[in-house]
Amino acid sequence: MLLINTPKEALQAPLQAVCGIVERRQTLPILANVLLERHDDQLVLLATDIEMQIRTTAPGAAAGEPVAVTVGARKLQDILRALPDGCELSLLLEDKRLNVRSGKSRFSLQTLPAADFPRMAAADGQAVSLRVGQGAFRHLLAQVQYAMAQQDIRYYLNGLMLLVEGTELRAVATDGHRLAFARTHLETPLARAEVIVPRKTVIELSRLLADADHPLDIVLGAGQARFAFGDIELVTKLIDGKFPDYERVIPQGHPKVLRLGRQALQQALARVAILTNEKFRGVRLVLDEGSLRVLSTNADQEEAQEELETAYHGDPLDIGFNVTYLLDVLNNLTVSEVECRFADANSSALFTVPDDPDFSYVVMPMRI
Amino acid sequence: MSAIHLLPDALISQIAAGEVVERPASIVKELMENSLDAAASEVSVQLAEGGVRLVRVSDNGCGIDREDLALALARHATSKIASLDDLERVGSFGFRGEALAAIASVARVTLASRRAGAPHAWRVDDRGAAPEPAALGSGSVVEVADLYFNTPARRKFLRTEATEYAHCEESFRRIALARPQVLFQLQHNGRTLHRWAPGSHEQRLADALGGEFAAHARHIDAQAGNLRLSGLAALPAYSRAGRDLQYCFVNGRFVRDRLLSHAIREAYRDVLHGSRHPAYVLFLEIDPAMVDVNVHPAKTEVRFRDARAVHQFVFHAVERALAVPQHAGSAPRPETPSQVGAAPTTPARSAMSPRQTALGVEQPVATYLEFVATAISRDADTGSAAQDIDASPPAAADNDVSPAPPLGHALAQLHGIYILAQNQAGLVLVDMHAGHERILYERLKAMPDGAPATQRLLIPAVFSASARELATALEHGETLARLGFEVGQAGPAELAVRSVPALLARAAVAELVRALLADLRDFPAARVIEARRNELLATMACHGAVRAHRPLSVPEMNALLREMETCERADQCNHGRPTSVQLSVAELDRMFLRGR
Repeated sequence: MLLINTPKEALQAPLQAVCGIVERRQTLPILANVLLERHDDQLVLLATDIEMQIRTTAPGAAAGEPVAVTVGARKLQDILRALPDGCELSLLLEDKRLNVRSGKSRFSLQTLPAADFPRMAAADGQAVSLRVGQGAFRHLLAQVQYAMAQQDIRYYLNGLMLLVEGTELRAVATDGHRLAFARTHLETPLARAEVIVPRKTVIELSRLLADADHPLDIVLGAGQARFAFGDIELVTKLIDGKFPDYERVIPQGHPKVLRLGRQALQQALARVAILTNEKFRGVRLVLDEGSLRVLSTNADQEEAQEELETAYHGDPLDIGFNVTYLLDVLNNLTVSEVECRFADANSSALFTVPDDPDFSYVVMPMRI
Repeated sequence: MSAIHLLPDALISQIAAGEVVERPASIVKELMENSLDAAASEVSVQLAEGGVRLVRVSDNGCGIDREDLALALARHATSKIASLDDLERVGSFGFRGEALAAIASVARVTLASRRAGAPHAWRVDDRGAAPEPAALGSGSVVEVADLYFNTPARRKFLRTEATEYAHCEESFRRIALARPQVLFQLQHNGRTLHRWAPGSHEQRLADALGGEFAAHARHIDAQAGNLRLSGLAALPAYSRAGRDLQYCFVNGRFVRDRLLSHAIREAYRDVLHGSRHPAYVLFLEIDPAMVDVNVHPAKTEVRFRDARAVHQFVFHAVERALAVPQHAGSAPRPETPSQVGAAPTTPARSAMSPRQTALGVEQPVATYLEFVATAISRDADTGSAAQDIDASPPAAADNDVSPAPPLGHALAQLHGIYILAQNQAGLVLVDMHAGHERILYERLKAMPDGAPATQRLLIPAVFSASARELATALEHGETLARLGFEVGQAGPAELAVRSVPALLARAAVAELVRALLADLRDFPAARVIEARRNELLATMACHGAVRAHRPLSVPEMNALLREMETCERADQCNHGRPTSVQLSVAELDRMFLRGR
């Protein structure tokens, strides 16, 4: 039974889109598979890791009644990748085996029944729907996602908080040491909704979203969120937890303010970072009238120093940071200048973009 | 009739006996201790049927006067202390005056004793008759027969004869270990099973525990102030699956003390696999006024006035003894003071014995010269070694006559995993990854940390704490701060952590602080943090070490061997596995049946 006969590229792209979430090691064998479903003139592809599922379609399916089967995602992907570019291929379901044919190549893959494939049920209850540009949302994620925690026992930090309030869509991520906040504006005011999107979903979304201005439909429901863009529909479970009160954490009225070229600061920090203590990567920022010095020492007593000129006028300051936290924010911004605000050596520092109230980054100091 | 009444005397003794006389082994212990308290130089123990039928302890001690004999079996009667002052500085094993009375309440006791100079001995038994004359050399004999004849309920708890005998033997061994100058003899059912002649500590350890333990153990002899620790601590390679070979004595008294076993366990932590138990026999000597032995009925627990100092002292003494690499002991040591002085000494090593330092730096350097001469390695470590050669006076190198370094000269690499080296004794096999891992680990640990860098938390980690945790956190606030933790009370039953050591910034904060508080509460010196830090460093060292299947040239292998010789704890990798195995020529000969 022919499922589809198509140029290789028309199947490879959607397959890649869904298979990114398939984990390498499985305890449940069927989770290593991708679901292929012939439906009208389309081939539906669906993969899941139980926490989220991605569904997309490939055009040009053969006519006939609906039929579905699951097959090893990685093997199918590897076969497609290895076939010559521009070739035609066909998928046939014969006697519970999936045959891949292209030119003189023949592959016969074992299958598992589609009925056993776990699919996420649509959540019911209250939901907030919104539409934003794909590029804008991708930018929003990029501004904050590096601050997400990784395998923290405070499970609610292993994700990114999305908050809809009025005409604002806010994104916040923190790992307990630093916090990134960004927001974008919506056209119409909406009901309030606050969800925590798991880390893996956020990374997968940034991978799949286009940089262009195509629309992205988001539905934030109870325990589940749905992102639809292009041919792709991504459904994810949400982290059930209370995200920390980020507004209390963002400091107000820090007196010591200076503006620095983003790239100049980033490069200075990257150089100084070479001689930081490899155990905890601490750098000292020493602020004086007109200058900012960046210093590091490692366990072998080797030292590095960089000096940046600033238009700073105010009290001197000597404060330490984990250089990774500073480089993270500078690497992920695209602006030319950043504004830094400090209070004292024990208080948090605030990084913002001049004349842009839509981004903040708070980082706690390290006493070296 | 009143509900509350005084218990009869016999019942009081029987209740006390429940605590003191658990099984025949307890009787052996109590009676042998009495003998030693009587300054006996020969103690003989005879058992019948695992000690249930008969325990007979005879000694040649000072004996008891006729007038005192009857009183000896009475409760709260003793010659060992007289006042509260004496109790606070107990030097004898016993002091409560309960043992004989308690034993007499659950068994038939006969006591015969002859004071030195007395014309003949006198005998009493627990039936309260007047003392009658008896025949005996000098000293005392106590016979305890038919244990639990009057308390059948307890009799049911006794195990088989073999088990009860094993317990008695263990009691016997514990007491004998601490008194090498006394002759001990043990008979069971008429057969003499042990006879340990008076001698040195070493001899007694070998007698009581077998030669294998002594051969695989390090000598410890450390002193600080009024504390002295001596004995043997087995090398990690001789570790045990159980705790059966752990003997700890405080002023000659066998104890099972949590504080001491914790200190020893911590000292082994770096070199012992987590599921293995160390073997040791350690004697702690301390001013009797500084320790309270009146804590536990069987006196197996003690309480130290200055627990922190004792913990630190024991930990460091054992750790230092284990740190010296094994081959350092077997190699010839440079003894002349000039050589010791010439050795560059780093502050971290100054705590070690100077001999070790001198050996560590100079000898390998001298023998290493020939390798540097034949093959110049570009390895950074080789470079630093070459500098040392320049710096050290040539005379010191010249009069160094060591024939070969302890780990020998590398011959080849086996399957990319092991280094084969030849030394004086024969063949040395070295696991190169394990060896290199240990070297890197020790180097990382030796890096000066200074005041710990602390990472402040943006969102304080708040966790619910028990009243004990709260109290510990407040009480030890300063210690916590020194370790890099800022812990404050956040609510009636909550603690908030506001900053953590930068090194452990990724750890699960609440869990870490809980573990730390538990450790601080129970033990004076919190080693949790250092342990966590070392775990981290061990991982770093493991990733940094050369992997198996990496081909090494002969100069590289030699450099690794020389570094292992100077490295502390180089006999085990970070996970407690051995790093090198020695096969002597004799062993090799045996394999090939040479000379048979």
